[in-house]
Amino acid sequence: MSSNDLARGGRRGTARPDRAAWGFLLPFVALFLFVFVLPLGYAVYESLLKPIRSGPLGLGPATIGFAGLDNYTLALQQSDFLGSFGRVLLFGIVQVPVMLLLATVLALVLDTLSQRWAGILRAAYFLPYGVPGVIASILWGFLYVPGVSPLVDLLGRIGLAPDFLGYHGVLWSIANIVIWEFTGYNMLVIVAQLKSIPQELYEAARIDGASSWQTAVRIKLPLARPALVLTGVFSIIGTLQLFAEPLVIKPLTSSVTSAYTPNLAAYNEAFANNNIYLAAAESVILALVASVLSFGFLSLVNRKERGAR
Amino acid sequence: MNSSPPSRRSVLRWGAGAAGVSALSALTGCGQTVGAARTTRQESTRPGQKVNLVFWTWVPMQKTVDLWNKTHPDIHVEMQTIPASTGGGYQKMFSALTAGNPPDLAQVEYQELPAFMLVNGLTDLSSYGADELRDKYVPWQWNQGVFGGRVHTIPQASGPMGLFYRQDLLAKWGIETPATWAEFEKAARVVKARGNGARLSAFNPNSPAWFAAMCWQRGARWVHTEGDTWIVGMNDDRSREVAEYWQRLVRDDLVFVEPDLSSGWYRQLQTGQVVTWIGPQWGDALLRGNAPGTKGKWRVAPLPQWKAGQNASANWGGASTAVLQGSRHPREALQFAHWINSDPKAVDLNIAVGYGWPAATGVFEGSALDKPDPFFGGQRYNDVFTASDRAIDTSWKWSPTTDADFAHLGDAFGAAMAGEGTFASALADAQKRAVDDLLAKGLKARSQS
Repeated sequence: MSSNDLARGGRRGTARPDRAAWGFLLPFVALFLFVFVLPLGYAVYESLLKPIRSGPLGLGPATIGFAGLDNYTLALQQSDFLGSFGRVLLFGIVQVPVMLLLATVLALVLDTLSQRWAGILRAAYFLPYGVPGVIASILWGFLYVPGVSPLVDLLGRIGLAPDFLGYHGVLWSIANIVIWEFTGYNMLVIVAQLKSIPQELYEAARIDGASSWQTAVRIKLPLARPALVLTGVFSIIGTLQLFAEPLVIKPLTSSVTSAYTPNLAAYNEAFANNNIYLAAAESVILALVASVLSFGFLSLVNRKERGAR
Repeated sequence: MNSSPPSRRSVLRWGAGAAGVSALSALTGCGQTVGAARTTRQESTRPGQKVNLVFWTWVPMQKTVDLWNKTHPDIHVEMQTIPASTGGGYQKMFSALTAGNPPDLAQVEYQELPAFMLVNGLTDLSSYGADELRDKYVPWQWNQGVFGGRVHTIPQASGPMGLFYRQDLLAKWGIETPATWAEFEKAARVVKARGNGARLSAFNPNSPAWFAAMCWQRGARWVHTEGDTWIVGMNDDRSREVAEYWQRLVRDDLVFVEPDLSSGWYRQLQTGQVVTWIGPQWGDALLRGNAPGTKGKWRVAPLPQWKAGQNASANWGGASTAVLQGSRHPREALQFAHWINSDPKAVDLNIAVGYGWPAATGVFEGSALDKPDPFFGGQRYNDVFTASDRAIDTSWKWSPTTDADFAHLGDAFGAAMAGEGTFASALADAQKRAVDDLLAKGLKARSQS
């Protein structure tokens, strides 16, 4: 009773502490505006512009004019830019479930191990996440190139001749790099969620005679759901933003094109082709697709949750 | 309620508004022109003041720069090594131009010059007396940097092409040095039959600059202009003929398909698996450095011809020393750009690092290039390249979107290798994309015919 009263009393004086709360929020809001809203607004602004050329052959001085939605029309007409979305979607449909399944299994296994072993293994699984994506791609690149790779050599000797960098295979070679990099990270998020499950639940389950398999499926998994949703959203966004891995692998194979992923397309448009306006439009389209997909995923999951209750 | 703090929504609205206002105020100030944020201006110097210049290049010319610094105490040049060409070098330069902090001097290849013009990235050197230097350079290379009658860069070197071949192996298999492309194909069939796994040559599907040179030799024009319109002709009959020729060689397994200038290719050169290379003059240093064990076995012949008795050649590569837009010491930068490309001592040091075929006239005679070479069995192999250089059709033009054209072509060739389309359809695809790219940049453009 008394604790309830206390809680109510605390809630009653909300007006002033909220001002303090905004004070605490200020650093976040400032950074959010500066590194998120402002660049986003700038990209939208740039995407509505185009250069207006003058002089012989258009090589004279140029000014910037309003383009309307020209850049968006152009971006959506480019078959390889559209194709890049299909590619990352296919990538995500396969790679995200595989990675999350792996992360969940690892997390559940770690949760049942003794403290000492769990600590060592957790660190070991997490280690790849500490390797920057570019370095990871270089490492794996060496393992993919025939003639250099001991892996290709070994598989060749037992009669398999995998073409890791082939036209159809390279996407899954990249998926492998991403899984290697991020499984440990996602595992850690799930482990943290599992740690927060009250011990009483396990005790109750044990008293009720639940096997450790039943405990895992009936208690741990449902309660780890928020972590799975979170890692799911992060993975979807990460997939759409695939960039460093294909960029690093590109020099090794002609199968990775200049518009292999939406981000790579925008990058090449901006810095190789020097058309920042079109690149801005492509980036905005990518941001829209990413938000539609991640909010779509969230509402799908939430609706299911509500339905389950 | 009445003293309630600002709602979450109103704060967000404020934030968005503030962000919008600051964005607008930032943009209206400097958003008027495209490209370089700073324009070149000669800054006055006090007597005795040392001028510092920054020079971005990927050619290892540090020794040449050291010589300049020793002989020119008033003007100090700091060479900074950047990633080569489109591997990051130009991306860096374009970003620096847009940001307004470019280096004074930079290595810019001929095919990239129109793209730099498009972002106003080059200093008009005619304003600083560059026209007087015209006679010192090979006319066609000089003209690569002339736009609208004004000089915009100092040419450095080019890459006239020839056929590097293993004389010992061709002799062993009874093959005459191919003088035409038909003979080249015949020779390739013989090597496949007798060569015990060797192939006459390698085809790199991801080297559009090389493929462009092949079309250049055939007499194609990938881009030309009519009035103010850019006309793209990558998919003309002549280029298609070249594409179909190489498609046949690839299909019949007469050539290796792999990147040249790569570790795998170098190993095949060392072991004699690859017997010839259709390469530029600057490739001599690469052969010497990467296949030293084959010394004395190589020779150089003119490029095979499409019709017997013709004398057509092509160029692969070629670069200039440009003074980027925004320099504060264009006069001194021009002085350096001219010196590094024409001073006999500087040229000798450049030759030693394989910088290419000199653009300056009169520096070849008596230089390190003008000698019989033991690596090529004592052949005066550069005589072949001298003739090749003269036979280059110098009316070839580059588009301001060459980088993107090359990327599209490389992508389409890669797809063709995977069975999606042919080399010829790759040309059609790239041509369409090239026109789109030009239009997207606000230029007038159309496909040929």
